[in-house]
Order: sequence, then C-alpha cells, then structure tokens
Amino acid sequence: MKILIDGIEIEAQFGETILEVARRTGIHIPTLCYHEAFGGQGSCRFCMVEVTKNGSSRIVASCTYPVNDGIEVKTSTPQIDKIRRNIAMLLYKRAPNSLFMQTLYKEHLCTENNLVEDPHEKCILCRLCVNACATMGASAISTVMRGTDKRVATPYDDASAVCIGCAACAEVCPTGCIEVQEDNNIRRIWNQDFTLVACEECGKNFATREQLAYIMDKSKQDAPATELRFCENCRRKVLARKLETFNG
Amino acid sequence: METDALITNESEELDAIINKYPGEKRYIMAIMHDLSRHFNYLPRPALEATARHAGVPFSQVYSMATFYKAFSLVPRGKVHFKVCDGTTCHIKGSQIIIDEIYSRLNIKPGETTADLQFSLETVNCIGACALAPALLANGKVHPRLNAAGVRQVIAEYGGPEYGKKE
Repeated sequence: MKILIDGIEIEAQFGETILEVARRTGIHIPTLCYHEAFGGQGSCRFCMVEVTKNGSSRIVASCTYPVNDGIEVKTSTPQIDKIRRNIAMLLYKRAPNSLFMQTLYKEHLCTENNLVEDPHEKCILCRLCVNACATMGASAISTVMRGTDKRVATPYDDASAVCIGCAACAEVCPTGCIEVQEDNNIRRIWNQDFTLVACEECGKNFATREQLAYIMDKSKQDAPATELRFCENCRRKVLARKLETFNG
Repeated sequence: METDALITNESEELDAIINKYPGEKRYIMAIMHDLSRHFNYLPRPALEATARHAGVPFSQVYSMATFYKAFSLVPRGKVHFKVCDGTTCHIKGSQIIIDEIYSRLNIKPGETTADLQFSLETVNCIGACALAPALLANGKVHPRLNAAGVRQVIAEYGGPEYGKKE
C-alpha cells in the first residue's frame, strides 16, 4: 500500500506502524518510550502525528498506529508541536535532574510555569528498563506503587535474586536515570554487587559472572563457549582467525 | 523484618490457600485477596510463593500488590481503623480524629501499633457524608466523632487505658 508522510509517497507493508515506516525512510519523529527491540508502547505520546484519511484528520501515536491504505501523515503541525511542547514541559517538570530532559525542555522552547519540581528525579517512567529486563529474561525490576508514588524498583528495594547485573536497563534508559557504578571489576546496580569478567583477549570487562552463568544455563552449556570468553570485538577477531585456518 | 518470617503452621496455611487455585497468572488477584483476608496483610513469603505458583516473576506480583490500595504489605492491626477523609469529613474535622488516634496510639495513617492491635489508614469517601466525620473500625461505622468519641472507640476495642502506657 502507498502512504504519504510529509508529502513523500512511501510503499508500506501491512502490519507496520507509521513510526517504523518513517524511521526506515529517514523521516524523523521524536520518541521517548520507543525502542526498536520492544516496539511501540504508546505511553509517552511524544511521537504524536496527524493522520488524514477521507478528508477527516486525527492525532495518533505513530509508534502504535498501524498503517492503512491511503493515509496521509504529517509529522509536524502547529497542533502537534504544541502537544510535544506540553509533554516535554511536563516530563521535564517530573524529571528535572536529567540532562536529557533539560535539553528537551530547552529545545521545545517550553515556557516557565510554577509546577513543583523534584530536583533529584531523573525518571520519566517510560518503562523501557522494565521491558529490557523482561526481554533479557530476568524480570528483576517492575513499576511499583501507583499514581504520583509510582517508580521503578526491585521488590522491596532489596537486592534481587534474579538480577544478573547485565545493565540492559541502564543501556536503554533515555534519561540516564539508572545508576551503574563500576569500580575495578565490581559493578553496582540495583543495590547489588556483581563481579565483572574480563575478556581473555583484550582484558576489558565485558559481562558479569551471573550474566554468563545465565547464558550458559539458557543454552544448556557446561563450560563457557568461545562466545562467553571474549568481549564482542574480540569474539569477531577470534572467529575470523578460526575461519582463516579453516580455509587454509 | 521479623514479621516477614512465617512460622511453620502459617506456611502450611499459606500453601493451602495458594493451592486452591490453578497455577495461572489470572488467579494472582484472587490468591492475593484470600491471603490478605487470612493474614490481614500480604507477607513477603506469601507473595513469593504466589509468584512461584503462578509462574510469573516475583517483581510482577510485587508490582500488582503495591498497585492496589486494598492490599497492605505491612501487618495490619487486629482492629483496622479507616478514617474517612472525603470532602465532607475533612471539613467536619477528620484531622481531629487522626490527631487523636496519633496522640493515643502513636500511629499515623498507614502505620500499625507495635503490638499489632491497631492500624490506621485514611480513605477518600465511605459514602456516609451525613454522618461526618466518620470512622470505620473493622467495617463498623462510628459516626460524628470528636476527640472524646475517638477515645471511647479506642477504649471499646482495647480497654480504656490503652495507649497510656506508651
């Protein structure tokens, strides 16, 4: 099917979302709670676009809206810009300690107001970290409480028995809210210490012991395979070397 | 926390409650309701057992348990006070009730006395505005209370001298 995004005609497939089509065409739609690994959540509403079909238009979240034939999408109109400005303002007021939100607040030319700020807060509750943890298979963190008290945490804020210290949560966090401290070969995350394992080739710390044990358990290996002894870069080198001798 | 450790007898009761339900995600709420009714709150081992039984991550069960106001994660007292703090009760002096309970029992909303006799929470409206300010003690309505009335209610549930020792 053919759809129009900002006046450009694009061939789209059934089942794709507007955001996916726009991203692969190189049209920028700003997002906060979206990550290509988990798909759209539609919770931050930052990716709102205007969709016109048969003469009537509506504002939708592009990350969850499936394309359909003949739609015309506008990614930036005065109305949408206003919505984004409002979201940027409200989320900044929620998480003013985040550098990312401070930048967003300035970029969207938000006007001053007297909403109360929590000067320490960095989290915008996009849930990307919770999704990342579930996808990794640990599900050590979740959102707890509700309403204004809602936050992301491990059960009872204790060290979690299932956390593998992979720091995927910190990796996907858009606002840099999740703290990971690394001191020599110790990584501290979610009130828990993990021992880091060094790459046998270059000596760089690349994973936690628990993370490797988890992978071994999942893939039913007894001893660490080649992939688990080297960091990502060295893994490629080692495999390439293997292929060399294989050919020779 | 000491209260989190269940004695043997309790862990059997716990298993009995949980095993009434099939080990599926959709029964978590029902299990938690039963547990809450039995223990008067949701002890940590009970939540962990629920997660194991339903085959979902503990974090998810904890998330659900903290989401609903009907569940408490700290032990509630034998006598659970609900002070109505809806608009009418608020204007008619629900704060006086809360203050009097605090001065008698030394508990604030959300807290429980050390001997697990009394606990207190505020609720938004119990639909008894004509009886404002009202207090629910284990579901029983005590209407139009003032400080003296609160002392009377406390005496009714724990003896007239209750709270003076502390």
